[in-house]
Amino acid sequence: MSKLEAFYGLPNEVKFCKKCVISNQRPSSTIEFKSDITEKKSVINFNDKGICSACSYNEEKETNISWSQREQKLLELLDQFRSKDGSYDVIVPGSGGKDSAFTAHILKYKYGMNPLTVTWAPHLYTDIGWENMQEWMHTGGLDNILYTPNGILHKEMTKNAFHNLLHPFQPFIVGQRIIGPSMAKKFGVKLVMYGENQAEYGNAIEENTNPIMNMDFFSSDDELNMKFGGVKMQDYIKSGRYKKEDFLPYIAPKKEDLVSSGIQVHYLGYYLKWDPQECYYYAVENTGFKANPVRTEGTYSKYSSIDDKIDPFHYFTTLIKFGIGRCTYDAAQEVRNGKITRSEAVYLVNKYDEEFPKKYFKDFLKYISTSENEFWKTVDKHRSPHLWEINEGEWKLRNKVFEI
Amino acid sequence: MKIVIVDYDIGNVRSIYSAFKNQGIEPILSNDSEVILNADGIVLPGVGAYSHAMKNLKKYNLINILKNYAKTEKPILGICLGMQLLLEESEEFGITEGLGLIKGRVVKMPIANTFQTKLPNINWSALKPNFLKWDKTILNNISLNSEMYFIHSYVAKLDNENEVLSVTDFHNVTFCSALKKGNIYGCQFHPEKSSQIGLKIIKNFIKICR
Amino acid sequence: MKRKSRIIARLDIKNNHVIKGIHLEGLRKVGDPNELARKYYNEGADEIILMDAVAAYYDRNNLSEIVKQACSDIFIPITVGGGIRKIQDIQTALNSGADKVAINTQAVHNSNFIREASQIFGSQCIVGSIEAKKVSDNNWEVYIDNGREPTGINVKEWAIELENLGVGEIMITSIDNEGTKKGFDLELNKIISESISVPIISSGGAGNISHISDLIIASNIDAVAIASILHYNIEELSTIKKKLNEYQDIHVRL
Repeated sequence: MSKLEAFYGLPNEVKFCKKCVISNQRPSSTIEFKSDITEKKSVINFNDKGICSACSYNEEKETNISWSQREQKLLELLDQFRSKDGSYDVIVPGSGGKDSAFTAHILKYKYGMNPLTVTWAPHLYTDIGWENMQEWMHTGGLDNILYTPNGILHKEMTKNAFHNLLHPFQPFIVGQRIIGPSMAKKFGVKLVMYGENQAEYGNAIEENTNPIMNMDFFSSDDELNMKFGGVKMQDYIKSGRYKKEDFLPYIAPKKEDLVSSGIQVHYLGYYLKWDPQECYYYAVENTGFKANPVRTEGTYSKYSSIDDKIDPFHYFTTLIKFGIGRCTYDAAQEVRNGKITRSEAVYLVNKYDEEFPKKYFKDFLKYISTSENEFWKTVDKHRSPHLWEINEGEWKLRNKVFEI
Repeated sequence: MKIVIVDYDIGNVRSIYSAFKNQGIEPILSNDSEVILNADGIVLPGVGAYSHAMKNLKKYNLINILKNYAKTEKPILGICLGMQLLLEESEEFGITEGLGLIKGRVVKMPIANTFQTKLPNINWSALKPNFLKWDKTILNNISLNSEMYFIHSYVAKLDNENEVLSVTDFHNVTFCSALKKGNIYGCQFHPEKSSQIGLKIIKNFIKICR
Repeated sequence: MKRKSRIIARLDIKNNHVIKGIHLEGLRKVGDPNELARKYYNEGADEIILMDAVAAYYDRNNLSEIVKQACSDIFIPITVGGGIRKIQDIQTALNSGADKVAINTQAVHNSNFIREASQIFGSQCIVGSIEAKKVSDNNWEVYIDNGREPTGINVKEWAIELENLGVGEIMITSIDNEGTKKGFDLELNKIISESISVPIISSGGAGNISHISDLIIASNIDAVAIASILHYNIEELSTIKKKLNEYQDIHVRL
């Protein structure tokens, strides 16, 4: 039998981690503004025992790391940057969700820093997202700058990203990654602190042992060739509709500028043992955070990532491209943190992973000026044959996670 | 010593069983006539509808068995609906005949069911004495006004005040919360659910059975 | 006339752990179910409620073993809830030693289930459980699946309907307040207590003793279910009851 074609250079054989429920199709973080449909995706690593790198890292986290030592390192780091004249001394990028709420609040109220939170605006705020953001300020007692990019350009880039890459969030992620360092430069602040390290979830383990975010993620020396939705900046400009100035929010600071400003980007998750569920409790108790009143579509929880109406479509597209939906991400993380067993995760993934996010479907279609027909045409084009097949007239995943 | 819990598919027998076990006796669950007649004491449990309970007693042929047992004058403890079954009849859903071991009838709690006076009566409420002394009864050494767990909408109205062992208040109604006729005892409340004091009552019943 | 109230310890359980969430979200482990149940019994709890916190996820109620154990050492009423979907589930719960079952989701899907259950087992066994989320002034919406799915149904109307269907009691949980330790939703409880004639258990929000006394005095509810205040050792149950009894207008069993 001939091998089925695998898009994006994904591994042909689908395997599921023996400890959590993530599959070997999970992509690692990429440098988004270089992102292209033809590129081969680098994926999460599985060791020879069939265990994914996120689980391996987690074991390390539980046994080999001295958290008191790490916290000591944090104290030393913060002592270095703490302002003596009342100015802002740390930029905390985030939306006021449980992770950034925790990060900003604890830096201020436990560690005595003076954070400025900066928010890269969601495409379309949900009511609960807006309320939580406001509460972050009003109840959490923090300062915030909300940066909303030019909607016309943002929508066009998102539309292109959806149709060309089936990755509608790509432009958003570009802006989100650079807002921390950009704002740091603008305000003369040298320290940027994110919450958890994405490596917790499966990026290369080496990234976890290095607290400083790789500069490549957010700095570029070749602006006109930066790609948004698979289209180069110079091509947007050539269309006559945009000027280079319109791209200011997406242009990463130059590497040498960052280096000479002495800006450092760190993850709090390197210094404090990270537990997203505990961030939820902390946020409720300290920053007025409220969980989604209803179960989030595509998963079982109410507290993860709930501020953008477009967000569910990010996960829907990962489901199409990699066979991994939102529930898989949530469940895998909760297995690692000991909140649920693998068996329970399998049940949940099979129950919720493929749920279509219909609540904001119309809003999404409107945002990217796409008809429902066009939406499905694009979606179906991106179903890799090694993941999907047509069964009884419907698209079905060839491989679903199962009990071992 | 053998204490038998009458088994007729009604009532929370596991709790009653546990309570007796806690007090040193492992009771037998049975509806067999020989086992029951040879018991040193029996417990008649019950929750739910009167007519359904009587139907089940009939099904297991227990009506005659229980009447015969009562003739031996050995101790009986009727709990909640089990106490109500000892009376002559109930007016729940039309008139249903009971065991007739105690003269009187079961009636709806004589109070209007409103937002202020909710039914069923689900409360921990105090036992107050009537005319009978509590000495040597199942209420032996139970302090006055001890609160027991009640859950019911119907109450027993005894013909004979001398058989009313304790009374309890529900808003402005005073009803019979425990009865005694010779060795026949009834608790409207659930001794097996009334914490340590309830266990004391179970212990008292065991003593009476010896 | 003194307001009487039962003080009920509520344990939300996942597998072998008591958990405590906020707004019915989060599964932070706080203790062992049987140990805590026994502790609260010894401290004078009037009743225990055992809820299977993840029944909605896994489509089953998993508490039989815990209930059986509880029943053998705890001699106060036990209510079991979470994932009660069929008549057989109720039978299993009662056979394990539960006195009452609390039903929410299945009642909303099929109101006949309540009618049938109360006819078979008796009203006093059936507690209608309502999870309420505030929508606007004086308007709360019924949620199911452990506070995850909205139904569009008005809480007050549903409470009245449940009474008509034959429940013996209603337990009302405020999703907005539960786990926050900021106090009960007094308005919600007042409105419900003035709309139905079966006893009401109020759940969600107790963080200190005055929250509980405020609730008892301000509304016509009959029982208070508390969780965070106990599981986080904010107050001991015996202290709560003692202090409540010091109020002129309140009576609880000591």
